[in-house]
Amino acid sequence: MGIVRQLQHWLGGPGPQLTVADFVPEDHPLRRWADTFPWDPMVAAIDQHMATHFSTQPQRGRPGVSTRVLLALELLKAELACSDEQICSRLRTDFAVLYACGVEQVQAHREQAHFVLPEVLAQFRGRLDEQVMAHLLQIQATDAMEKGLVSPAHLVADTFVSEQGSQRVTDATTLYKAKKKS
Amino acid sequence: MVDQIADQLGKTRLKQEARQLHGQLAGVMRTFGRTCRGRQKVFVSLVRQTEKQLLTVGEWVGPLALKALLDLYEDTTLAEPQKNRLHRHLQQAANHYESIERQSRRLTQGKKLAHAKIVNAYDPTIAPILKGKSNCPAQFGKKPGLLAEMATGFILGLHLPQGNPDDAGYMMPLIDQVQQAIDQMDTPAKPRIHSVAGDLAFRETGLRNQLHGRGLLTVGIPQTLEPIPTTPTLQMITAARRTLPWPKSISDTQIKIAYACGYSRPFVESLIEGLSIRNGTHLKYKGHRGAFIQTMTAVLAHNAATLDRIEQNRLTPRAQRFRRFFRLKPPNSLQDNDGKN
Repeated sequence: MGIVRQLQHWLGGPGPQLTVADFVPEDHPLRRWADTFPWDPMVAAIDQHMATHFSTQPQRGRPGVSTRVLLALELLKAELACSDEQICSRLRTDFAVLYACGVEQVQAHREQAHFVLPEVLAQFRGRLDEQVMAHLLQIQATDAMEKGLVSPAHLVADTFVSEQGSQRVTDATTLYKAKKKS
Repeated sequence: MVDQIADQLGKTRLKQEARQLHGQLAGVMRTFGRTCRGRQKVFVSLVRQTEKQLLTVGEWVGPLALKALLDLYEDTTLAEPQKNRLHRHLQQAANHYESIERQSRRLTQGKKLAHAKIVNAYDPTIAPILKGKSNCPAQFGKKPGLLAEMATGFILGLHLPQGNPDDAGYMMPLIDQVQQAIDQMDTPAKPRIHSVAGDLAFRETGLRNQLHGRGLLTVGIPQTLEPIPTTPTLQMITAARRTLPWPKSISDTQIKIAYACGYSRPFVESLIEGLSIRNGTHLKYKGHRGAFIQTMTAVLAHNAATLDRIEQNRLTPRAQRFRRFFRLKPPNSLQDNDGKN
């Protein structure tokens, strides 16, 4: 099933049919960034992981959002330093984000608030694990080496620190932040 | 939980004791919160002072849980599934208490924290980072390791172990990841890894021997605080060649390049900065799996940006020079490379 058919609920609106690539210049940073990814093997790796780890989707009901869109949103979230809500909101209005998600044509309805709900993105992320993510990096590295863009001949290794970012929300912290903002 | 069990069993005295103890513990924490409010900082001395009070007041939690457990066994009024459920919940709560108590005792001043100590009752995989100083609040989080190409900083491997093992333990899993990526290539002539650079944390003899055994040069890993020479002498080239199991498998040029590709902290800092702006150094997802997904997403996005820069030829002079070393770019005809012109 093609990407357009999977996203039918927001690609079949009454509005004019727009070709996404026409609106995104060829030298747009997000377009160039998205074009570097080997999308097909990466999406195939995730689909295979989903097929082997989770039960098959029921045949009835609306088809799920394409893996290509969800993976691109997850990566765009890191690239643009957005939250789930922000990136899903940009998918509705930003043609560059639509291009990066592999959507070629769009025919949206004006009253449609979201193309992809943030909850769907969170559920998709919940189904990923360490193995599939490591596989994605391996696919990207292999593709870059095959194209002759990088060489593994001389490497550098190091560690870095990732601090714990979750903050416990209490009345005291909320009040303190409110006072600081005002 | 004890309060709930006492309520179900109708044990008034046990309920009173549990509530009293809960009130006392809450009182200690309230004092701690008041002292910290508005400061933006939590001092270690304050944490340890509160910790001692909590341990003193909370020493009755264990006996109280045991008493509730005995009462639950002796009771005949409750149905068996309900008793099992309450027993399971009580055991779970007691386990939480034990892990918090154990960790709290380990945070006492003057005692060194060993690896992989549980510090957060809500997320047992978050461990203290050993880079934390003794005179400032302990840093908590994760310590991922990366293996990157020397020219442009394309990250070829990411390793995020449970706990905080030594840096030397990161190297071989990272090398394996790169080797796996090379093995998956479709091209007939596959590239190979010639050398690995790292900081002083990777200078262990055992690790060097392992790398030499796989035919990798380690001249880019310093053994002392002295900087690595960028241009090796003939003796240094011979010595480097002797470390390998097949000395003729590598050319003099590759050994010279390996010396030129010695560890560079500013270069690694630029990689970390690239991950940092993509939220790779500020963990928001839960647990070890979440940390790995978040860091790996940042790495994939960073790599895509690096590939875009390579395709656009927007590289630093250093990166361009190294790409010429690696034969990824034709030599610069305008530059006097050999000193002959």
